[in-house]
Amino acid sequence: MAGCRRWGLLCLLVVSAVAALAPSARPLPAQPRTGGTGGSAAATATASATASAQDSIDPLAKAFDAEDKNDLRRAADAYRLVIERALAMPIPDGDRLAIALLGLERSWAGTGARDSLLPLVQRVLIVRPTDPIARTLQLRTLLSVNQDDGARQAFLDWRRADRDQAAPYREYAKLLLDAGRARAADSLLAEAGRQLGSLNAVSGEAAQLHVAMARWNSAAIAFREALTQQPYLETSALYALARAPIATRDSIRTVLQAPPVRLLPRRLLASLETFWGEPRRAWTLLSSVPVDDSTLASWQEFGERVEGAQSWQVARDVWGALLDRRPSLATQARAAQAALKAGDAAGALAIVRRTMPDRDSTIATAKARLLLPIEVAALGELGRAAEAQQRIEANGAALDATARADLAPLMVNAWLRRGDLEQARRAVQASDLADDDETLGWLALYDGDLATARKRLVRAETRRPELVDALGLLARVRIDRSAGMGQAFLTLARRDTAAAAARFLALADSTGDAAPALLGMAARLMAPPATARAATTTAGWHAAQAVWARILTSYPRSPDAPDALLASARAAAASGDRTAAIAHYERLLIDYPTSALLPQGRRELERLKGTIP
Amino acid sequence: MARRPLMTRLLTAIGLILLPSLALPMRAQAQHLLVPMDDAQRNHLKAYGLAFQALKTSLKVEWLLNYRGGAFLLPDDATLRRRAALDGVSVEPTTDAGVASVRAEITGGNMDAVVLERAPKIAIYRPANQPPWDDAVTLALQYAGIEFTSVWDDEVLKGDLAKYDWVHLHHEDFTGQFNKLYLAYRDAPWFVQQRDRDLLTARKFGYDNVPALKKAVAEGIRGFTDRGGFLFAMCGATESLDLSIASFTVDIAGPFSDGTPPAADADAKLAWGRTMAFTGAHIEPSPYINALSDIDGHQVNVPARRQPLGTFSLFDFSAKLDPVATMLVQDHRTIVQDFYGVTTSFNKAILKPGVTVLASEEGAPWAKYMHGDYGKGSWTFLGGHDPEDPQHAIGSNPTDLSLHPNSPGYRLILNNVLFPAAKKKPRKT
Repeated sequence: MAGCRRWGLLCLLVVSAVAALAPSARPLPAQPRTGGTGGSAAATATASATASAQDSIDPLAKAFDAEDKNDLRRAADAYRLVIERALAMPIPDGDRLAIALLGLERSWAGTGARDSLLPLVQRVLIVRPTDPIARTLQLRTLLSVNQDDGARQAFLDWRRADRDQAAPYREYAKLLLDAGRARAADSLLAEAGRQLGSLNAVSGEAAQLHVAMARWNSAAIAFREALTQQPYLETSALYALARAPIATRDSIRTVLQAPPVRLLPRRLLASLETFWGEPRRAWTLLSSVPVDDSTLASWQEFGERVEGAQSWQVARDVWGALLDRRPSLATQARAAQAALKAGDAAGALAIVRRTMPDRDSTIATAKARLLLPIEVAALGELGRAAEAQQRIEANGAALDATARADLAPLMVNAWLRRGDLEQARRAVQASDLADDDETLGWLALYDGDLATARKRLVRAETRRPELVDALGLLARVRIDRSAGMGQAFLTLARRDTAAAAARFLALADSTGDAAPALLGMAARLMAPPATARAATTTAGWHAAQAVWARILTSYPRSPDAPDALLASARAAAASGDRTAAIAHYERLLIDYPTSALLPQGRRELERLKGTIP
Repeated sequence: MARRPLMTRLLTAIGLILLPSLALPMRAQAQHLLVPMDDAQRNHLKAYGLAFQALKTSLKVEWLLNYRGGAFLLPDDATLRRRAALDGVSVEPTTDAGVASVRAEITGGNMDAVVLERAPKIAIYRPANQPPWDDAVTLALQYAGIEFTSVWDDEVLKGDLAKYDWVHLHHEDFTGQFNKLYLAYRDAPWFVQQRDRDLLTARKFGYDNVPALKKAVAEGIRGFTDRGGFLFAMCGATESLDLSIASFTVDIAGPFSDGTPPAADADAKLAWGRTMAFTGAHIEPSPYINALSDIDGHQVNVPARRQPLGTFSLFDFSAKLDPVATMLVQDHRTIVQDFYGVTTSFNKAILKPGVTVLASEEGAPWAKYMHGDYGKGSWTFLGGHDPEDPQHAIGSNPTDLSLHPNSPGYRLILNNVLFPAAKKKPRKT
């Protein structure tokens, strides 16, 4: 597999190199004009004019045109003509020669006549003995037709012509690695080290060699060395090292973060950490690099990447650090937005309210457009709805109708977070949300009007987790009105999960068949799955365990019972009680053989028992 | 409307009373559990573990060769039902009448029922500190829940193999040349550790070098098979075991492993009369070429000789006349994706007469899977390293078999685990 991936990467690099060379010098093919509707004489005249126009077309353009049309034989003829003409000049044009040679290679490879290139390349080398393109083509062609001895001789000739240069070693090693001949490449690079005095000039190839042989530590050392001279290797290094097995990653980390602290190895390691799912570690690495323009650019790029990966806490820290070093309104907005999405409303508010020296911050409209929605959302999350309303009014002059419409749902949410249904309704009336199914559905639910809530929420456009939870409960509860249920959801909207859990628990006994669903909801609020590892000793977890036990004892045939078993098993495993965890998992598998949770449960059980890695 | 007769009404009433119990077949008591091994099976690999569990508790197991992918017939037992439910193994409760119908079908086709008598005692030849590659058999047995004991050079040299029915070898190089990994990995910590460990063992048992130690170990394994043991080998162990046995009195090891080059006339001195599978192979004397001999058809570590992977086909055998070969190829697929290993395949031109080829690639000069008798015992060789990771490289993560519960390649390994449990029947061909 490693070989295939290496192939893929190197092929890509070769293609990119060719593409980079070819199109830049590629003129547009001349368009022959078509004649009128005259008689045969006119047609002959037109044909002859066309022929003459064709003759005057640059053969390179002809070659490109033919290649575009997949007429590879005609393309090969034209490329050959370019080479012949170039060789006839006292000083051949190296660029045209290179383009034509590469084109000829493509064309002849397509017609199965790749080895025909060799005599022509030989002629080019007589005139230009150190031409790197011709030399590389010669090596590549010889290797592709399995003339290993010929390739070795061609390499020796190049080395003689280009004494003390790394290029012959580098190109030959790349081609050997391309062909999967890691051992031959190893010998060649050892030879390079002896002849050139060090491996510095071929460290990129040495690194690729180590990767091919799964010598990850050596690969990291070689890449670190290579990056000092060839910073463009960073992407190759990332793709190469990213597939290092978990057990070998620490050694890569040690190499790339060894002193002195330099941006490139740190940035490479940060990219690797992000790829390996460790964005926090990545930021720790990047944030300790001495700050200059390049570092800040790297931070910016990293911030965008973690934003894309929705690692909001890391994104908050990255944009916050950038804001400290290079303040701007845009960075302030991104930092505050990331903080808000990370669940840090207080942090978001603090960021929004920082005074920026940037010129933009004095422009009220821009500030209102970018920062006010975040400020209102943060205030809403913090239960400070009235203050949020005041902020909107204070910025009234800077807000147009669209901006006001955008703020309306935030204010509805702010009032709901406050638990003030009346104000929330007023905010809805004052906005264009009066027909919005989701908003009206939530308001009905908080009112205890379950029938309307059921009808409205099912038509909501979003499928946020809290909406799915609400719809799940509404589907199980058969009654149409329940003030208690409305209060429970409203308490939840205020983010008071403990009180909401208590309300759902209290309601359970009065909801008939839906009781286990309410109990399950209460347990989820007491012990959110995401906190399993960290919080198994908290009171919430103990309370949740009692609720799961109640579901299993009182409602063993309910659809919530397998959920309760899986949650109990996970809790037991997280608290280190392996025996209890296994018992819960086994009960899930035995007693609920048709549950959709079975595959998860079985996999977790196998991992716990050590039957899978 | 005509009134129905009393008996009809009575039968209808009885039917209505019985209906709920018929709707819960898993809860109803049957006499047998049929474990299908065709596409109806949700977890083929763990099904072998279930059969093994039955054997361990002295329950009678029948292997229904060529019937529904090589199904197992077990007695209906609460423990087995529980284990099947835990492992996600599909079982079909079957009555005596149902089994009679199955037997009638088996009698009429190329099928047979083989009784498995007792759980074989299994040993896997593997070092205590695992090298950076995995052993497909260890993975398969652990996943299927089949117990085994790990043995290494010490146990083999002390004669402990006699305690086991079945011994598995995987990646070991019995020529003592460390799979010729010296050039690439000589400084890798795991390589240094492996070399030091082997040298220490060699000295402990009075051998000058690792090749001498491994020859003695190979001899122990040869003796185990000769005395009636079942040997299963994969990957590099297949080729290197026979090379080691053949070179009992001649030096074929490179200088990096014993300090001396191979004997100049090593090829001519190889004693093929002692080997299990191969005859007339040629050793690869160059320390720079990562191949031990020309036995492997694919030569994955010699780029200029490497052959691409294809697929291999399992052969059909007569279940009633050739039950052993039939057992070894039980599978729900007959064409399987090939996979590389230090030794991937076996050059057909150098197979001994009498070797049964169980699977090979159509039109290719190599076999993939083969079996033969040796003395009172028998051996099976399967080329390649990991059936679900065709390019498995040193340092690659181990294969998670819960993602491949229906692996046809891994089934071949597990066929070998159960085959020693079969009650011996005289071979009829």
